[in-house]
Amino acid sequence: MVEIRNVKKSFRKDWYALNDISLSVDKGDFVFLTGPTGSGKSTLLRLIYMDIFPDEGEVAVAGFLSSTIKKHEIPLLRRRIGIIFQDFKLLRNKTVYENVAFALEVTGESGRKTKEKVMKALALVGLSHKRNEFPYRISGGEQQKAAIARALVREPFILLADEPTGNIDPEGSMEIVRILQDINTSGTAILMATHDVELAKRVSNNSVHLEEGRMVEG
Amino acid sequence: MFVIREALIGLRRNGVTTFIAIGIMFFSLFLFGLFLVGTFNLFGVIQAAREKVEINAFLGRELTDEEREELSSKIKAMVGVKSVEYVSKEKALEEFKIEMPNATTLLEAVKTNPLPPSFKIKLEDAFTTPDKVSEVSEKVGVFSEIETVEYGKSWINRLDHLVRILFLFDVLLGVVIGFSSVFVVANTIRLTVIARKQTIEVMKLVGASEHTIQAPFILAGLIEGGIAGAISAGLLYLIYMFVSRFFVHFYFPTNSIIIGMVVLGLILGYIGSKTSVKSTSMEVSFETPNF
Repeated sequence: MVEIRNVKKSFRKDWYALNDISLSVDKGDFVFLTGPTGSGKSTLLRLIYMDIFPDEGEVAVAGFLSSTIKKHEIPLLRRRIGIIFQDFKLLRNKTVYENVAFALEVTGESGRKTKEKVMKALALVGLSHKRNEFPYRISGGEQQKAAIARALVREPFILLADEPTGNIDPEGSMEIVRILQDINTSGTAILMATHDVELAKRVSNNSVHLEEGRMVEG
Repeated sequence: MFVIREALIGLRRNGVTTFIAIGIMFFSLFLFGLFLVGTFNLFGVIQAAREKVEINAFLGRELTDEEREELSSKIKAMVGVKSVEYVSKEKALEEFKIEMPNATTLLEAVKTNPLPPSFKIKLEDAFTTPDKVSEVSEKVGVFSEIETVEYGKSWINRLDHLVRILFLFDVLLGVVIGFSSVFVVANTIRLTVIARKQTIEVMKLVGASEHTIQAPFILAGLIEGGIAGAISAGLLYLIYMFVSRFFVHFYFPTNSIIIGMVVLGLILGYIGSKTSVKSTSMEVSFETPNF
């Protein structure tokens, strides 16, 4: 499903953001990507959703290869994966419902099916009752739930989470992790980047630790 | 449907930037419209002046009807000649009295009519330049019946010089207004696009195609441009009505101006929004401060 082979990525001379990384994530996996700030976690995720491309090595995601993918195919790849961020990336001028529906509408989906899918995704994260609220009127934890619902509404095979609990209090963080675990149980793979090594140890025994762009024993 | 709805939402929810964009586009188009109306009228004046360019071929004696017809046909057949009019001695005298009423006493003193008969030769527009007028004059002067050939050499030279300067100035002004309009409008629309950069970011994140990302912005740009064009056409028309009613009448091709302003507005809106959304979309990256 996701295969990273001997990847190197550099943003400036004589320094690698990622150095010889190999990793695979299969259906149903819950993999943690741990490491301090600046260790290369976000870079690795960006390689997977092909916002950037490796200098060496290869990234393969859902049949798309980083070496051969065309520019117009990148949206097709992104429709098959879900992505959430520390800063949620919700649109302020849209309600929670509209934010989730937006992910379907931009690819031409509309009508009753959209409503069903959006309501299902909101129910999954327990946010149905806040569907008509604007993001700035709900808590950080609830905003992240809305972002998860948006990522899930297309039923992706993998959910990439970049420090999803970074802006949320400990209680809210645990709730987000529990929701991710539930999603994982239904078959969606999760690749979660976090600097919180303890949290990773508590939730899964499958984690990859990065230090200065290199994989090290956790 | 999605594209239309997003375009309208974008215009409504970013009301201030939309208003500024329409305002700046309106001002640019209005200036350009003034320039166009000015150009139309300038060329109208030049055209009228050129029509006054004529050659007077004075005859040495009165001609018989056949001689006159024959010579007139020969001159008319020359390249660049638009029309030939015979002016008899009597007609010349009448015209002289009309044009110079103060000099009639002088003529009365002479008793006889000293004015010679002539041919008044009008030229095609392309032959009203000093070189061409001189060329045709020389050819006309070859006929033995014609004693002297005259044309306002000095004023044709001055007219030609003035036309060249005005034309150059007009083209320069048009280029400056045109380019500055495109530049200012493109940058203003860019502000409206940057204000919605996050929307572009989210669209990319959830897998929208580049076409879907750009379409609402381009539609919004077309709407803004169309509105700005219509307002500027309306204001130009009001100014035309006001000035021609209370001051001076001038040439104003109403339909061409209205259609032209709206089409120019649409073109400006399209170019501005297309370039802005394309460059903003290319700038969007999910890079975080730390890798």
